[in-house]
Amino acid sequence: MSAAPRTIRFTLNGSAVEATFPPHLSLIELLREQFDLFGARESCGQGLCGCCTVLVDGNAVSSCLYLAAFADGAEILTVEHLARDGRLDPVQQAFIEAGAFQCGFCTPGFVLMTKQLLDDHPDPTDDQIGHYLSGNLCRCGTYPEIIAAVLDASHCLTVSL
Amino acid sequence: MSPFALEEPASLAEALALLDPDDPGARAIAGGTALMLMMKSGLYRPQRLVSLRRLGPALTGIHTAADGGIEIGAMVRLADIERSGKVRAAAPVIAETLLTHSNVRVRNVATLGGNLAHADPHMDLPPVLIALGATVRVTGPAGERSIAIEDLVTGYLETVLANNELITAVSIPPQTGRRATYAKVTARTADDWPALGLAVSVHAEDGVVRDARIAIGAATETARRLPQAEAALAGRAVTDTTLREAGRAAAAEAPVVADHHGSVAYKRVLIEVHLQRALRRVLDGAAR
Amino acid sequence: MTETPRISAGQIGRSIPRVEARAKVTGTAEYIHNLRLPGMLWAKICRSTVPHGRIRHIDTSAAAAITGVQRIVTAADIRNVIAEPYYGPAFHDQPILAEEKVRHVGEPVAAVLAADPRIAEQAAQAIIVDYEPLPAVYDEVEALTSSVFVHDQLKPAGTFADLKHLAGRRDTNIALDFHLRRGDVEKAFAAAEQVFEHTFRTQQTMHTPLEPHVAVADVRDGAAVIHSSTQNPSFVRIEIARLLGWPENRVRVKTAFLGGGFGAKVYVKVEALAVALSMLAGRPVKIALTMEEQFFTISRHASTFRIKSAVDKEGRITARHCEVFYNGGAYADIGPRVAQKSGFTAAGPYDIPNVAIDSFEIYTNRPPAGAFRGFGMPQLVWAYECHADLIARGLGIDAVEFRRKNLLREGMPHATGTIMRDAATAAVLDRLAQRIGWGQPFNRGNGTLRRGRGIAFGLKAAISPTTSVATVAIAADGSCTVYCGTVDMGQGSTTAMAQIAAETLELDAEAVRVVAPDTDVTPYDMGTLGSRSTFHMGHAVRLAAEEAKAKLAALAAETGVPPGTNLPLAELFRRKYGMQAGTVVGSGSYLPSYVSPDHATGMTPNATPFWMVGGSAAEIEIDTETGQVRVLRLVTVADAGTPVNPRIVETQLTGAAIQHLGMTLFENMEFTDGQLRNPNFAEYKIPGIRDLPEQLTGEIVDAVQQSGPYGAKGVGETGTFAVAPAIANAIHDAVGVRLMELPITPEAVYRALRTAAGDPLGDT
Ligand SMILES: Cc1cc2nc3c(=O)[nH]c(=O)nc-3n(C[C@H](O)[C@H](O)[C@H](O)COP(=O)(O)OP(=O)(O)OC[C@H]3O[C@@H](n4cnc5c(N)ncnc54)[C@H](O)[C@@H]3O)c2cc1C
Ligand code: FES
Ligand code: FES
Repeated sequence: MSAAPRTIRFTLNGSAVEATFPPHLSLIELLREQFDLFGARESCGQGLCGCCTVLVDGNAVSSCLYLAAFADGAEILTVEHLARDGRLDPVQQAFIEAGAFQCGFCTPGFVLMTKQLLDDHPDPTDDQIGHYLSGNLCRCGTYPEIIAAVLDASHCLTVSL
Repeated sequence: MSPFALEEPASLAEALALLDPDDPGARAIAGGTALMLMMKSGLYRPQRLVSLRRLGPALTGIHTAADGGIEIGAMVRLADIERSGKVRAAAPVIAETLLTHSNVRVRNVATLGGNLAHADPHMDLPPVLIALGATVRVTGPAGERSIAIEDLVTGYLETVLANNELITAVSIPPQTGRRATYAKVTARTADDWPALGLAVSVHAEDGVVRDARIAIGAATETARRLPQAEAALAGRAVTDTTLREAGRAAAAEAPVVADHHGSVAYKRVLIEVHLQRALRRVLDGAAR
Repeated sequence: MTETPRISAGQIGRSIPRVEARAKVTGTAEYIHNLRLPGMLWAKICRSTVPHGRIRHIDTSAAAAITGVQRIVTAADIRNVIAEPYYGPAFHDQPILAEEKVRHVGEPVAAVLAADPRIAEQAAQAIIVDYEPLPAVYDEVEALTSSVFVHDQLKPAGTFADLKHLAGRRDTNIALDFHLRRGDVEKAFAAAEQVFEHTFRTQQTMHTPLEPHVAVADVRDGAAVIHSSTQNPSFVRIEIARLLGWPENRVRVKTAFLGGGFGAKVYVKVEALAVALSMLAGRPVKIALTMEEQFFTISRHASTFRIKSAVDKEGRITARHCEVFYNGGAYADIGPRVAQKSGFTAAGPYDIPNVAIDSFEIYTNRPPAGAFRGFGMPQLVWAYECHADLIARGLGIDAVEFRRKNLLREGMPHATGTIMRDAATAAVLDRLAQRIGWGQPFNRGNGTLRRGRGIAFGLKAAISPTTSVATVAIAADGSCTVYCGTVDMGQGSTTAMAQIAAETLELDAEAVRVVAPDTDVTPYDMGTLGSRSTFHMGHAVRLAAEEAKAKLAALAAETGVPPGTNLPLAELFRRKYGMQAGTVVGSGSYLPSYVSPDHATGMTPNATPFWMVGGSAAEIEIDTETGQVRVLRLVTVADAGTPVNPRIVETQLTGAAIQHLGMTLFENMEFTDGQLRNPNFAEYKIPGIRDLPEQLTGEIVDAVQQSGPYGAKGVGETGTFAVAPAIANAIHDAVGVRLMELPITPEAVYRALRTAAGDPLGDT
């Protein structure tokens, strides 16, 4: 019976939305196919690279391993929501200033994980940076610049607190 | 993924009723991190998944018992365990282990019950919980039972649970006087699955080991205790010789299997070396 | 062109952020990965499960019964739209879908089309293929003498005159053999004071760009439009046009930003299949590979390198014989070019009077190997720089001193006979030694933790002959657009081309727009590969901008503007056309001079338009009880000529070094009987943030490429060359054992230590 499409309601980037889909859809498929949100990307498909990172109720998750049906009632934020009114989030700004990407495919994931890191640890230690960002992969090898961006953003956020 | 039906029952009883001991095509889904991987690779094609998300507070609590033990609900997410002050007070080794367990995104979703029921031999928590002497509480149509963690898993992705039994909680006895540590040894990248997971929990007094529990994962087909290594320590004074003997005993007795991470011979070396180091860490008081 | 001496506009050497930076951090940057077209179908591929076999039967009935499946396609169907469905840049050996035989695990056998990708996937898994297994060969050395032949006969592409002689060769797995002979090697070995001989091996690895290969083809009304994550749109256009028998102008290839390439996305990969499927379906078709599928598509060659050197009393290398065997897998791809174009540099950055090189591209029943950042160099440098260290040790000479003594310096002839120009070998070696503190005392550790240092460096020749063409348009408001086929896959070419155009036209780089490659719009470019773009396309853009500038000057003269007047360009156009109208277009085409090597001797007076020199120095710490290696410091130094954008250049160097730390320590495509055991990130481990050396730097030496655009040259590959041998040399320095094979796993190190101690570790 419930292999049939189901309808759920949730908040997506601040707006109440509704979607109807079969249960075997992943959250990333839902976001791309029904909401034209392409900032989260499926790469490894295994929870390891972080390219598909989105926030569910404030917690970063791999949307490639998250059933879309579990978004029911949740608040979902994607990278598209970070820049408001044309103003970049300080983390995004820090990534630009530190040159923290090459191809950019991994970047939205790193930006969102950095948000999560700085929410939990505004002034992170090297270990904390390692523990939060070790679940994201950058094949271009831009890690040194990413670490610099995290520290820049942390500095900028703690100063403006 | 192939299509399946998704049920979201509101009580444990309903959930159990939706599962069938003779139908492996129906299974519980908790966080779904392990199941999604299996379904995406085609390793598992369910007809029906029974979500445990709406079973209510019975499965999502963390409770400290009067004796200092602790009980963690099966649906508690690993991230919440990591942050829980109660868990940290009762068994700090758990939070330490979780820091390098999978990644933040997985821990934000994966649950303790799903973790233990998944039964992948490379997982980090089973040896830790074995060393702590933990048990799972399981409920089925016939009622409730308790199973020691070391008895839960029988093989690769296989447990003693019937298909219509569910883990409801994990109980960890009081750790009074004990120190524990976990060594996650990776042979490739830092975020790799372990080549060896080694947990030790020791009660030592006045330079003498009263009691040691040593558990191994990843290098063997299932997580298990290493009784001969434990025996090599019990009642013995803490000396380099004692530790070396325990290391040798562990390396010799563990039923090691080869995989991507290393040969049998090499993993035995890792066991011998890392057991001694782990024991040093706990016995020198640098408890993790 | 203007006669006035050029004053620098200050755009070269500016470390501006990438022009697309904002789009990348907000997630709006365009990738083909995101593309959907109206009416589009998704294709999923059914792949071979055997390494070598004859296809007896393909049963599609269960797949066809799945609701939503539009069509199932096998090789026979492909023949209805493409008469001779074989492709490849060097050899036309690769079928769009396997015909009669499969030659490696993961080879495409059938495809399913559906509007829902999940249905296509499910159906692809439901196709049952019956194979008659055939004996297979996997090892490059075994394949030389094996009676198993991967192909019945060689089928070189007509495009390359120098491959013609291979046509029709039978009963061989050698796709290509390249030979170089300089001096009298045998005599030199006979007269040698000492001879050193070693065999080094490397493993098969995969690029794993995070955006897997993707193409959307839309073929209708006699025209094909292909949106692809390709690194060389012009080549794809030419190859698809050839397959279809159409003129080039009916095939249009468009790219966007690439989520990494590293050589994985050169030449045709999934485009030919996408085109055939779109023709069969009459609708746009998207093929988006998964990470797993990439491993079956292209890889870096495993290799075996036998290297032998003769040395005289003074420690000078008098002769060297190199035998290099590249494991090309089941299809040649660009492998023959790797064997040849890297092969001729196999003797290294040394001045050796007598050289013999034999370099082979070998077919085996593994997934194909092709270009991967460095184009065969990491394999070569691994061997010749480990070998150099072993010779120095054997002679009791300091490793850096030994290299200096034998260094191939400016003005000396390379093994090919080409005189070295603008290759800063000495500067790179000196800087490496200085940065790592070579010769200075350091903490060598104690007890079970031991430290050591190592240095290695290499020399690569840019591939030739290749062409780039660009146009630069100035709109009536004075704004500038660059049209070039260079694909930005993260290396920052969009920014670099904007800077070069801006420098020529005296504009701000930020104001220049560079359009994404689209063969209907952007002129021919050989490809974004082999670190060639800054040099070749840089020249083409410079020439195009110069022509536009000259035309603007002519326009000014025509409209009576006195020379030296600072009239805004918009005003110039208004004077000419009476309103905001018109475009000034400049075009530039660049083909460096080159002389093909002599077929028998490999000699040429002009082997390459420019040389790339890159090296690494490492300090490592070994846990002798476990063999665990920790990289404490990794310094990478390059000659990049004058850097167009220094920060992007440094990021290229450290990025390449981190990537090659993976090849050195972790990455390995593991096979059992031809079955790939780890085609995913769970078991194929690439470096993450916690695997970084404690100190990591990338830097360039002061150098100018006289023949380069504004003194610049390529750098995309340079950081890859020497990471592995630097680490192996450091390990030797620390604990006295030599690893001959990659990757350097803790177990390999530990075993070497036990063997050296006379107590080898068994298997159980
Ligand atoms: C990227 C990634 C990295 C990982 N790295 C690590 C690591 O480093 N170390 C490590 O130890 N693990 C690692 N894991 C595994 C991870 O721990 C498990 O995926 C996770 O714990 C499973 O929990 P879940 O709630 O998501 O389970 P689910 O996927 O929902 O379920 C897993 C299994 O348990 C069953 N199940 C779930 N709940 C119950 C219950 N209450 N009673 C009975 N059966 C139940 C399900 O039917 C299923 O068979 C990793 C996983 C991923 C995806
Ligand atoms: S695609 Fe989801 S983590 Fe890699
Ligand atoms: S910037 Fe390319 S993967 Fe990170």
